Amino acid sequence: MKILVPVKQVGVLDEDFELRDDGRDVDPDYLEHELNEWDDYAWEEALRLREEYGDDVEIIPLTVGPEEAEDGLRKCLAKGGERGIRVWDSAMEDSDPMAISRVIASVAEREQVDMVFAGTLASDHGFAQTGVSVAGRLGWPQAAVVSNLEYQPGASTAQLRRELEGGLEEVMTIQCPAVLTIQLGINEPRYASLRGIKQAKAKPIEELSHTDLGLSDDQVGVAGSASRVRRMYVPEKGQAELIEGTSAEQAQRIAEIIKQMQGEA
Amino acid sequence: MMVVFYLAAIAAIVAFAYGCYVQLRKYRRGQSLSLPGVVQGVLAMAGELLSHRNLKRRDRSAGLAHGLIFFGFAMLFVGTATITLEYDILAPITGWRFWYGSFYLWFSLFVDLAGLALIGGLLYMMYRRKWLALPKLDYTRPDRKPDEADFDRSWYRREDWLFLWTLILIGVTGFLLEADRLLWLQDDATVWNYRWWSPVGALLAGLLDGLGVTNAAAESARYVLWWIHGLLAFCFIGILPFTKVKHIFTAMASLSLRHPKPAACLPSTDIEADTIGHRLITDFTWKQLLHLDACTKCGRCHEACPANATGFPLSPRDLVLSLRELANSKLQSRVLPGTEALQAVGDGINQVRHETLWSCRSCAACVEICPVGIEHVPMIVEMRRALVEDGEMDPAVQTALQNVQKRGNSIGENKRRRAAWTKKLDFEIKDARKEVVEVLWFVGDYASFDPRYQKVAQTFARILRASGVDFGILYEAEMTAGNDVRRVGEEGLFEYVAEANIETLSACEFETIVTTDPHSFNTLKNEYPDLGGEFNVVHATQMLERMLVEDRIPLRRKLERRVTYHDSCHLGRLNQEYGAPREVLSSIGVDIVEMPRNYCNSFCCGAGGGRIWTPDPLEMEKPAENRMREAALIEDIDAFVVNCPKCMNMFEDAVKSTGNDDRLEVVEVIELVAACMDLEPVATVTEAAIEAEQEQ
Repeated sequence: MKILVPVKQVGVLDEDFELRDDGRDVDPDYLEHELNEWDDYAWEEALRLREEYGDDVEIIPLTVGPEEAEDGLRKCLAKGGERGIRVWDSAMEDSDPMAISRVIASVAEREQVDMVFAGTLASDHGFAQTGVSVAGRLGWPQAAVVSNLEYQPGASTAQLRRELEGGLEEVMTIQCPAVLTIQLGINEPRYASLRGIKQAKAKPIEELSHTDLGLSDDQVGVAGSASRVRRMYVPEKGQAELIEGTSAEQAQRIAEIIKQMQGEA
Repeated sequence: MMVVFYLAAIAAIVAFAYGCYVQLRKYRRGQSLSLPGVVQGVLAMAGELLSHRNLKRRDRSAGLAHGLIFFGFAMLFVGTATITLEYDILAPITGWRFWYGSFYLWFSLFVDLAGLALIGGLLYMMYRRKWLALPKLDYTRPDRKPDEADFDRSWYRREDWLFLWTLILIGVTGFLLEADRLLWLQDDATVWNYRWWSPVGALLAGLLDGLGVTNAAAESARYVLWWIHGLLAFCFIGILPFTKVKHIFTAMASLSLRHPKPAACLPSTDIEADTIGHRLITDFTWKQLLHLDACTKCGRCHEACPANATGFPLSPRDLVLSLRELANSKLQSRVLPGTEALQAVGDGINQVRHETLWSCRSCAACVEICPVGIEHVPMIVEMRRALVEDGEMDPAVQTALQNVQKRGNSIGENKRRRAAWTKKLDFEIKDARKEVVEVLWFVGDYASFDPRYQKVAQTFARILRASGVDFGILYEAEMTAGNDVRRVGEEGLFEYVAEANIETLSACEFETIVTTDPHSFNTLKNEYPDLGGEFNVVHATQMLERMLVEDRIPLRRKLERRVTYHDSCHLGRLNQEYGAPREVLSSIGVDIVEMPRNYCNSFCCGAGGGRIWTPDPLEMEKPAENRMREAALIEDIDAFVVNCPKCMNMFEDAVKSTGNDDRLEVVEVIELVAACMDLEPVATVTEAAIEAEQEQ
C-alpha cells in the first residue's frame, strides 16, 4: 500500500523585489523558498494514515524541481517516511502544470501507488491544476479541496468532505485508487524540528530524469506544456491614505473624501 | 528483654538498609551524568544548612522552626550516637568509658535543650498546619480536576502529620523517661542533686511528683515508656527511606549537587543522538530523580510560580510530585516495567500534561526559592524537547520556530529589514562586520522589530553616540540569540542560530558585547560558551551604570520622578543583576518605590520560555496584569520602569488592559537616561525621506 504525495518548494516574495530581465518571472535573488503550505497538510494526512495503520502503509514525498527543492522533501522526511523522489533535468525548465502532472503520473505508475494526495494549489502560481491533472492522466477519480478524509488504506472507497464555494460542504464517496487534493485545515501539521530535518539527510532521495521515467523531450518543459508565461508585472497600486488625528478629525476627513468622490462621480 | 530490643533495632536497621537500596536502585535507573565541582557543592550545602538562609526566606517563622527541629534533631542524634558508641561499641571491646562526670552533666544539659528545641519547632509546625491553614499546604493541584484519579493528595497531609507526631512523641517520651528516672532514683543523691543539669526532665519530675507519682509507680512506668520511646525511634528509622523523612538525606544530596545556574544555562544534549529530551521517567538523570526525592512539599515554588498564580495548570511542586510518584511506582519495583508504563509526559496518572509543560515561563522563580535545590526548569525544558521532537506544540510556537528556521528571527520579518530601525537615526551606525569597534551591540529580535521597542533601540543608539562610544551592530547578519528557542525545547534550532551567531561574532573585532535584551544577554553570556562562543557580555543597564560612574554620559539635568522598577527574570533571578538598573535610576535622580514582590521575588511578566509567542487565553488574568495591579497599588508614582523588550511588550498591553494607562507610563531605564540628556527629537529624518530612500 503506497501513498504518493507530490510537494513543491514555492517561492515567497519579499516586500520589495524585482522582476527578471526577460520580464517573465521574479528575479530569483528576491525569492525565498519554502514548502508549499497545502503540501504540508497533504503530507500530514499521509503521515497520520501511516501512524494509524502501521508500516504496511508506505508514504513517499515526490518533488519535481532542481536540487534546492530537496529541502522540501527533507522537511517532509523529518516528520516521517523512509525515502523521497526528486525528478529534474534541464529539459524540464518552464514546465507548466500539464507537463508537471505528466511527470507525477509517470512516477505514480512506476511506483504503483494506491493513492495520490496533493495540495489543492501552490501558493506561488496558484494554478490548482497539477493534482487534478494527475488524476486525468492516470484515469483515476479525483476530489479537489478535500477538508476531511476517512480512509482505510487498501479499502476500495474513501469517504470525504470537500469545501465548496459559499461555505457549503460536499460529502462524497470516491472509488480508490484516487487523487485527492487536500485543503488547508484538514489537520494540524506537526512541526519539523531542525534536528529532524538534519537527520532526514540520512534518508535516501532517488533522483530521476524525465528519460528515466520513459518520457520524451517534448513531453516535458516548454514543449510539453499547454501554456506559457508571456509577461509578469505589478499592477498599478490604488490610492491609500492613512488618516490620523482624533476620532472627530478622522470622521471629518472621511466625510471630505466621500464628498470628493461623489463630486467625481 | 534486651534480646527483643536488639532484634527490633536490627529489624529497623535492615528495613532502613533495604529502603536505601531500593532508593539507590531507583536513582541508578536514571541516566548517568558527570558531576564537576562536588566539593564546592558540599561546602555550599553545609553553608546553606548551617545558615538556614533559604528556609527562612519569605517564610521566616517556618524557617526558624525548621532550624529548631533540625539543630535539635541533629544534637539528639549525635547524643544518642555517642551513647551507642560507648555502650555498644567501645565499652564491650576496649572497656573504655567516657560517659560520666562533668562530660556527662554538660551532655545532659545540651541534649535537654536540644529536645526542647525539637519539640518547640514541631509544635510550631503543628500550629502552622492546623491553625494557619496556609493554601500552599492543602496540596490542591492546579493541573488536575477534582474528579480525576490523581487529584487526591490527602495522603500528603496525613504523611505530614504522621511525621510530626512520630517525632514529637519520640521527644515527649524521651523527656518523660528522663523525669521518670529522676523520680525513680530520687533517693539517690548522685542523681537527684544534679537533676537541674537536665532542666526539662527536672521540671517534669517536679510536676509528676506534685501529681503524686511515687518511686514505685515511676519504676513500673519506666519499662512502658522506654519501649514506646525505643519502638517509635526504630519505626522512624525503618520508614525513613519511604517517607518524607528521607529528605534528611536527599535534601542534603540535592543541595550538594545543585548546578550554579540551572535555569540560566540549560543542559546541553547530543542533538545527533537517536532520541532527544525526557520522554520516559528513565530519561531523567539520576541527579534529577534524586532532586524529586528531596522535595518536602513546602510550597515555596507553588507560591512563587507566575503560571500558578494566574490560574494556569502548572505548579512546580505538583510537577515534581507527579514525577516522584511516577518514579516511585515504576522504578522501585524489582523489575523495570516496559516503556509504555514509563512514559512521563501524557494525560495518564502521575504523568505531566502538555499544557502543564507549556504553561512555564522559565522565569526560575521556583528554582530560585527552592530550599532543597530542585531544578525545575531544566526538567521542564527536557520534557519540552521531547514534545518538539514529536512536533507537538501550540501552532503559534510552531510559526515562531518556523520563522526562526527560515528568517533567523521569531517575528517572521525579512532578514534584510533587521536594521531598518536605524534608518530613523540622523547618523549611521558602524557595521561591526566591516569595521573594528569597541562595543558590539547585539540588538536582538524585539529591539529590531517591535515598533515600541525600536524607539528604545534608537534612543540607546543616540545615548551611545552622544557619549562618544565606539560601537557597531551586525546588521542583517544577526540572528535571534536563541534564548527562547532553547527554552521551548527546540535544541537543534538553538544550536543552529547560536553557532551562526558565534561564527559571525568571531569574525568581528570588538571588546565587549552589549545588549538591551536580558534574554539575549543571558544566552550569549551563559550558553554560548558551551558552543565555543566566549565573549565579554554586558547588559545595557550595566554599561550605563559604568558610564555614569565614569561620568561619560553628558547629563543636562536630573529627573524628579517617582517610579516603580520591575526586575526582569533574565537579568535579575537568572543573572543576579539587581543593582545596576537601580543605580542608574538613582544617579539620574529617580526615586524608586519598590513593589511588594521585588528583587529575587520579582513576578514574571509572562513572556519568558517562549510564552511571548503564545497568546494567553482572554478569560484568564495574564501574569503581566497581575504585576501591573501590584504596581498600581503604589500611590504617587507615574511610571513602571522595565529593562527588557519582552517585559515592555507585555506591560504596554497590561497597563491598558488593567486601566492604568492614564497614570502609569511603561518606560525603559534607557529612556529615562535619555530624558536627562536633552537629546534632539528622534525624527530628524522624516518618514517620507525613508520611504523615498527605500523606493530607490
